[in-house]
Parts: sequence; C-alpha cells; structure tokens
Amino acid sequence: MNNPEANIVDANMAPEGLGRIAWAREFMPALADAQREVAESGLLQGRRVGIILTLEPKTACLALALAEAGADVSVFCSATHVTDSVAAALVSHGVAVYARSDADAEFDEVLLNRFIDEHIEILIDDGAGGTRYIHTRRLDALPFLKGVAEETTSGVRPLRVMESEGALTVPAIAVNDARAKQLFDNVYGTGQAVVMTLIDVTNTQLQGKEVVVVGYGWVGSGIARCAHALGARVTVTEIDSIRALQAIHDGYDVARLETVCPTGDVFITATGIGYSLTGDHMRLMKDGAIVSVGGAGPPEVDLGGLNPVERGEFARAEIRTIPVGDDRSVFLIADGECSNVSAAEGNSIEIMDLSLAVQMRAVQYLAANQKTLTNGVHPVPPEIDDSVARSLLAAIGAELDEPSPAQERHAASWQFTAETT
Amino acid sequence: MSFPDDATPRADVASKSRIADPALAPEGRLAIGWAQRHSPVLSGLVRRELEDGAFRGQRVALVVHLEAKTAFLATVLADAGARVVVAGSNPHSTRDDIAAALVDMGIEVHSSRQSSYEVWEEDLLAVADSEPHYIIDDGAELTVRMAKHRPELYRQLKGVSEETTTGVARLKALHAADRLPFPAMAANDAACKHMFDNRYGTGQSTIQAILSLTNLLMAGKRVAIVGYGWVGRGIATYVRALGGRAIVIEVDPIKALEAFMDGHEVAEPAVALPGADIVITATGGMRAIGSRHFPWLKPNAVLANAGHHDLEIDVEALAEEADSYSGIRPGVTRFEWRGKPINVLSSGALVNISGGLGHPIEIMDLSFAVQGLSSHELIVGDYPPGVHVLPRRLDEEIARARLLAEGISLDVVTDDQFDTIDEWLEVGS
Repeated sequence: MNNPEANIVDANMAPEGLGRIAWAREFMPALADAQREVAESGLLQGRRVGIILTLEPKTACLALALAEAGADVSVFCSATHVTDSVAAALVSHGVAVYARSDADAEFDEVLLNRFIDEHIEILIDDGAGGTRYIHTRRLDALPFLKGVAEETTSGVRPLRVMESEGALTVPAIAVNDARAKQLFDNVYGTGQAVVMTLIDVTNTQLQGKEVVVVGYGWVGSGIARCAHALGARVTVTEIDSIRALQAIHDGYDVARLETVCPTGDVFITATGIGYSLTGDHMRLMKDGAIVSVGGAGPPEVDLGGLNPVERGEFARAEIRTIPVGDDRSVFLIADGECSNVSAAEGNSIEIMDLSLAVQMRAVQYLAANQKTLTNGVHPVPPEIDDSVARSLLAAIGAELDEPSPAQERHAASWQFTAETT
Repeated sequence: MSFPDDATPRADVASKSRIADPALAPEGRLAIGWAQRHSPVLSGLVRRELEDGAFRGQRVALVVHLEAKTAFLATVLADAGARVVVAGSNPHSTRDDIAAALVDMGIEVHSSRQSSYEVWEEDLLAVADSEPHYIIDDGAELTVRMAKHRPELYRQLKGVSEETTTGVARLKALHAADRLPFPAMAANDAACKHMFDNRYGTGQSTIQAILSLTNLLMAGKRVAIVGYGWVGRGIATYVRALGGRAIVIEVDPIKALEAFMDGHEVAEPAVALPGADIVITATGGMRAIGSRHFPWLKPNAVLANAGHHDLEIDVEALAEEADSYSGIRPGVTRFEWRGKPINVLSSGALVNISGGLGHPIEIMDLSFAVQGLSSHELIVGDYPPGVHVLPRRLDEEIARARLLAEGISLDVVTDDQFDTIDEWLEVGS
C-alpha cells in the first residue's frame, strides 16, 4: 500500500530490485574485495554510515557491502534519482532508506531530515549536498558527524571553498580525486554512458554529426572520445588553455561556443559549472539541435528565459522541445539534468565497482583515522587506489611486472655510472 | 488492374486489425512524428517519386519489425495511394503504441509485442489473406509462408522487395527451385541499404542494446563475434572504438582474412569463446552458438544475437540442457548450465530491436528509401521473375538526397580527368 508519508514508495517492489542488485554484484569484484577486508578489520562494526548517492543497483551494492561489513547503514536520495524497486530491496535487507520517486521538493527535504536524524557518523556524499545542509541547517547533527567521503568533482569544489573559509568542521576525503575513480569513472564510465544515453533516447546516429563538447576535463574527454568512436566530428570548447591544447592533440577542433552554435548538431556540456550553456546559446542554434548534460544538473545548462513546451507535448519521453524563435526548436535531454543518470541507468557496473570500492575503503580509512585526521579536504591515500586497482586486475587475470633490483637501484641513483653485474 | 480509391472506413480498419491496445495511439503518434523529423530522404525524394500515382489502389503488405520508422514508411506508402496492411517480422519486436497509432491513422495492422509464435503465424496469414499485390518483406517471412500456405494468393503476387541478407538468400533459393513466379527486389543488396544499415545501423544499435540491457562497460571487454559479414564488421568496429577487443569467428577464409587485416583477433570457437565476456552472433543462419559451444563459454558470459533468426543462439538447446533459468533483469535471462551461469539477452531475438529502439532513424531513412523505390520500381518497371537489385541510378539518388539534407556538395569530374585508355585503343587498332 502506498502511504505518501512513508520513507519509500512500496516495499512490495523488492523482488525486482533484488534481481537487479544481484546482477550488478556479479560484476563488482573490487567492491567484494574491499567488503571482505573491511569486515575483517571490524572497524565499521556498529558505526552509523549514511549514503547520499543516486539510488540504483550499483550504489545499493555499496550499501549492502557496508551493512554486511557491520555498519548501520542509512540511505537518502532525492526523487529524480531514485529507483523505487531498489529502495524496497535495500529495506528488505535492513537498510534504512529515505527515498521515493514521487516526492516533491518539499517532501524530499522532509526525507533528508529524517535521514539526518539517524545521527550519521560517516557520510558518503554526492555534490557535498548533505555536508552543506548539515553545516547550515542541521547544526544539531553536526557533533555526530566524524567524516565525509565525497563522490563527485562538483562536491569536492564546495568542500574546498568551505575549508578555505574555515567552515568545514570534519575531515573529508576527496574520493572523486582518486586515480582509480577519476581515470575510469569520469572518462570511460561517464563518457560511454552519456553518449549511449543520447543515442538511446533519441534513436539517432552520431556518424557524420557535429558534436560540440563543452568542457574538456576528464568527463568531457571521455564524451569526446566516445562520440568520435561512433563516427561524430567533435569540436571542443574550453576556457582552459592547457585543456584546449590537449583537445587539439587528441584530434578535435577547438572553437568558441557561440561560433559553433549555428553549426553543431549535438551539444554536450561537461563543465560541472553553472551557466556553461545558456538560452543565449540556444537562440543561436539551428532547428533540431540537441542539448544534453554530462556534468552536473541545472544550472550547468540554463534556459535563460526560454520557455520549454508544456509537459505532455514531449517530442518523445525524456526529450523536451524548446522553441528558440524563428520557428526553430532545440531539444533538451532530461530537462538539463545529468543525462546518464536521469535518462538511463547511470555509469556501467564495472566502472562503479572501482569508484564504490574506493568509497568503501575511504569510509574504513575515515573510521580508522578519525582521531588524527584534521578538518579539511584530504586526498585518497595511494594505498587505497593501489589495492582497488589490484583487485580488478586480479579478477580480470592480468598480471603485473615487478621492478628488478637493478631497476630499483637505477631509479634511486643519480650518478652516471653504469650498473655492473 | 486498378482499384477504386478504396479509402476503407476507419472503424473497418480497426475491426479488421489485431493489436494490443488502441489507447496507446497518442504515444505512438509522437514517436512516428519524431521518426519523420529525422527522415529527410523518405520525406523528400521518396515522396516525390511516389507522386506519379503508381501505388494508387495497390495492396501492399509491409512485414518489417513494427516500430516508429517502419510505421513512417507505411504512412508514406499510404499517402501515395497504396492500401497498406502491416504485420511485424518477429513476434517479439513490435511496439504496441506504434501499432495503435497506425490503426488510428487508418492502416490495418496485425501484430502485438507479447505474441506467441502461433499468434504471429496467424497474423502473417491474416496479412496474406488481404491478397497483397506487393510485399515489403523482412527475412522473406511472409513470402515463404504464402508460398507454403496460400499457394493461389502466392501466384497472384506481383512482386516482393526484401529487407535482409537472410531473406534475399531465401528468395534466391525459391528462384533456383523455380518457385518464384514474380520479380523480387533485393533491397538489402542496394548500396544505400547494406553498407549503412547492416554495418553502421546494426553495428551501433547492437552494441547500444547490449550495454543498455546489461549496464556493462565496453572498455576492456573481450567480445567474440560470430560471423564477419556487413553486420559483424560493424559490430567489431564499434567494439574496438569503445575500448573492447573483438575476436572474430568465421567459416569463410576470405572474411576471416579480412577480419585479420582489419586488426582483429581471429580464432576458432574453442580458442575464442573461453576468454570472451560477451558473445555476439551475426551469421544470419541458425545455431551459430549451440550445444557444442556451451562447454567453452566463460562463466557469466553474456550472449546476444544480431542476426535475423531467434535461434541463431540455440536457446532451445540451452533451456533443455540447463538445470534452471530465470529472468535476472529486464531483457536478461540467466541459465544455470552445469553449474555455470550463462546470460542470454532478449531471449535470443534480435537484440537491437527486441532490447532497444532498433537502428538509428537516419539509417532506416536510407533503408526504407531503398524499399520505397524498390517496390515502386517493381510496379513501374518491367522485371521478369527472379531476384533483382535497385538500379544504381536510384541508389545514387538516395545517397545524393541524404548528402543534400546534410548540406554536402560533391566534386564533378572534368573532361581532362578521364583516363587516356581511348587513345591507346586507337593506337593499337
């Protein structure tokens, strides 16, 4: 029965969610390794761990892994990013879930507050949303909070601002900046997912299309790579000179955004920064141009006064028609939300395995070092990166070399002498 | 023979049709509208060519995977005056909202998504009983059934235009057996069809469907591809482009050598399958992966079919030999085969259509432009019984129309660019 005041939509949806979680777990060897080690350490036994991540089968695997390692796990997710059957499946495993897809903004906040009422000690955060909320509106819950592990680029940025202003009162691990996350999740994961979502939703081809990628960070380079792989001609727009130069050396054109607005067929933003593509840009675009977001949600793409066609007049589901004048329309995917998450199932399982295994070990690290870690943003220790990468290599069956004594001696020396044996 | 403009009343069309749910029509209309928006060749060149009235009063059976792009072709033919009757070419690929929209637009449809093979056969025979003059066929599914079950109506057929490699092979076999009393167009063999549809269309959409059904990553995967025809080539291209490694299994030495020169691994099944995370069949035949292959499969391998037959992966044998099987996620069936999990996508049906939205619209715009002009050619041309190909001139017109829509112009050859062979011939004479 659907009680609109309840924390999830319907507990009876659990079986479908359980099937999808079981599928994801098959392809997450690094998380399984991390779970085993964390459980053996006993460090999370009885600790209250909160998760604010898009709630779908892969993040559910992290919740279950933490619970099975002994933690007392709660999950919050806002309405746009929750899969109700997965929420039900987690509840059936004893995880406290505050997430329903039919919540309005007001009830989302009610759910967030119920989540914070769990007195979270270690928070896995997305966009630093929970951390910022507790630091501003729920100061009563702040004393319980011992550490934060942040998943995204767009969350690490505000955490550093908080740190510089002396506002951050807990240690935070920049999980996003881990090599095992950034080099894979942002490039291959988001790259593949954003481009595949675009062609899935639109049922169009990229061969021969002019695809404009706004921002050439890790995500942008992955999107460019994937679009090019599917036959698109890619143009990159950047504000950073080094990244622009990198894009040219990767074989793409670089231009100012307003210059390419009239010719581009598809525009994908990947900046993580608000107002990167606005209504003023859309007014310059040709009829039928498609705009999609691979970075953060609004206002990364901001309609700036343009009015989308009313709901119910979608050209297709997930595609919003935006008249831009002179009988021209631009199509916006997923209302400018991060498209791979909002209009598809998010990044692939194997990629999330790496990111979530880093999360799992970062939570363990916070628990183990909470007395010594200072309040501020800390990098993921290299040992965590290394153990996560080694887990996956072992599962794939790829073996590594080890440096010989001669190599080690040479690497450590500075003199011109040759090695003699 | 010409028929009066038999504008069948809508209620009549609805009562003759067999679809899942007429209420789905509005959603289907939006999808057809979106397809129309991205179909410049059908909307332009083909509509213009069909304005000559050749289709007026002709009964055309359209038996192709029934989704938005196919529906748009049906409306183009109907607008040209044809009386179109539609069925799906596979019992699992029909989109019910599209079928409803077509009936709503006055076109007779016999198809629903969740139909059994028996019901699908009945649908095809219902289309046969509409006494078509022409068939636009896929896999020659309707043609071969009419030959077998409706021999008199079969003899009255005036022509068939065929979509796939599999169907063309079947038509050629019928012709060789002297059982093709009418001309057929191998639409598949037109350059604007197989070079784009089979390679880029099936290639892209197969990978797309596999990734979206499984939520898996292509980078770092080993993917065995059974068959290196146009479809297999396209799949291998995109596997590699997205960071995977393609291992090709072939029986044809020329194609195997081509795959090798394209930089892919080529190996026999016993060598290729044990390391493959994903196995894709693209032979157009049957049982490309069957009982003898199951022991070689890697535990947890994902199997998907890109060919015409639902039995290209022998799911019947797999179900029989497996201890158990169940759906683990939508579109994914997990078989426990002698203690080893084996995952099959879309029950072995064409994965890009059953597990996704099928080919990109712009690709189908080319393919259906070929179908439209091929069937038009059958009406206005004077073709003897046998299997024919769209004249090169029309093939080129389709390509030009698409290039024009993209704003692309071509170079022209000047007189001084021609080879001087004529001069040599004169010297030698």
